Amino acid sequence: MIKISNLSKIYNKKVEALREVNMHVKPGEFVSIVGQSGSGKSTLVKMIIAEEKIDLGQVVIGGWDITKIKDREIPTLRRQIGVIFQDFKLLEKKTVFENIAFAMQACGFKPSVIKKTVDQMIALVGLKGKTDRYPLQLSGGEQQRVAIARALVHKPKLLVADEPTGNLDSINTREIIDLLKKINNLGTTVLLVTHNREVVNNLRGRVITLDNGYVISDQQKGRYLL
Amino acid sequence: MYKLWRIFKFAIQGFFRNFWLSLVTITMMLMAIVSVTLLVSIDYVKQATIAGVEQKVDILISMQYEIEREDVDTLVLDLEELPEVKKVRIISPEDNMELFKQNNSNSKAIKALDVFEDDENPFGYSLAIQAYNLDQYKTISAFIEKEEYAGIVKASTFHDYESFVNKINNLSKILNKYSWYIIAIFAVISLVVIFNTIRMSIYTRKDEIVIMKLVGAGNWFIRAPFFIESIFYALVSVLIVIGVTYPIVNFIQPSLTNYFQDTQVINLAGYFQSNFLYIFGWQFLALATLNVVSTAVAMKKYLKS
Repeated sequence: MIKISNLSKIYNKKVEALREVNMHVKPGEFVSIVGQSGSGKSTLVKMIIAEEKIDLGQVVIGGWDITKIKDREIPTLRRQIGVIFQDFKLLEKKTVFENIAFAMQACGFKPSVIKKTVDQMIALVGLKGKTDRYPLQLSGGEQQRVAIARALVHKPKLLVADEPTGNLDSINTREIIDLLKKINNLGTTVLLVTHNREVVNNLRGRVITLDNGYVISDQQKGRYLL
Repeated sequence: MYKLWRIFKFAIQGFFRNFWLSLVTITMMLMAIVSVTLLVSIDYVKQATIAGVEQKVDILISMQYEIEREDVDTLVLDLEELPEVKKVRIISPEDNMELFKQNNSNSKAIKALDVFEDDENPFGYSLAIQAYNLDQYKTISAFIEKEEYAGIVKASTFHDYESFVNKINNLSKILNKYSWYIIAIFAVISLVVIFNTIRMSIYTRKDEIVIMKLVGAGNWFIRAPFFIESIFYALVSVLIVIGVTYPIVNFIQPSLTNYFQDTQVINLAGYFQSNFLYIFGWQFLALATLNVVSTAVAMKKYLKS
């Protein structure tokens, strides 16, 4: 699903955010990428979703080499990868339904198809009855559920979660992780970027550890090392 | 088709759901186009005033008392052949008498008529000559002063107006020259104000643009509602200006009419009526174009992410 070879990212010819990163994520895996602040986790996510240009190395997503991706191809890539963020990145002036539907509307889907899919996603993330609310009328956990539903509307093969529990309390954190596990069980590859030790240790899955831009460990049944 | 409908829907949603931002943006635009409308009005009043004064100016020739109508008609024909002459009006001795009575009804001068019998008229013919523009009166004046007319023309009163006419003429030239500078300055100020207002508005909503991009929306799908929204701003601003201009113009029109004692001199209401599309249509087109271009420029960097 993801094949990264010798990936490096250097900012302003001085700061090396990623150095010679190699990793291979198979379809259906649940992989946690851990590391302290400044270790290069977010840079890695940005390169996977083409938010940052790739200077050195190669990134292949689902067989698509995005190393030299063109600007006009980026929307197509992002429709194939579901992404959720620590700060949810919801459209404040759109309702729950509109936020989730937006990604499909951008692709020109029929209203009936959108309605059906969005309703399914809302049921999946447990937000029935809250479709007409605006993000600021929801709790942090609920907002992250909306973001997950939005990430899933295109039925992506890969879901990238960048610190999805960073702004949540422990109860909401557990619920969001359970939801990600459920999505993974339905066949979606999940790449969880986090520095939450408890979350990583409870998952008992594959853990890739980054430190100072390097991959320092890649364990199949790993724990939070740092 | 769905995309087109959605783009319009998002534009309307964006306009109303960011109501305060829309209001502030429209207010800034209003300031700019109210200034332009004011400038247009001032320009019209200036031109109408000068034209009005020009219309009021004429050369009044008093003919010798004994001159017959045939001689008057000959002089009129000669005058009408001059390319500078716009109109010649013959004032008969009877009309002159009536005018004298009207103008002097409350003065002692009217007693001067008492020395004449009732069927006697001490007034002769007069001619009121109008030129196409103020510069031409000198030519007409020189024509009348020719020797061949010395026997029939008693006096001409243009010289009384001459310095006044010259002042008006000079003022008109200065105003016409500098009004372009003033219009240019206003246009530049309006352009800068509107461009920066749009930039601020887009800056306020930059997260929205970045998020749309992150969830896979194409650049045009993101841009188009913002463009349409910016056209709404232009439309609403111009509609408000129209809504404000007409009551104000109708309110001040009677004062202008009273001041000039003639409806034809400054008809501001009529001017806006007959130039409605020209004034407000161009304002809308210019504002909408400026808004769309400003929006495109302001959005460019946020669409790169």
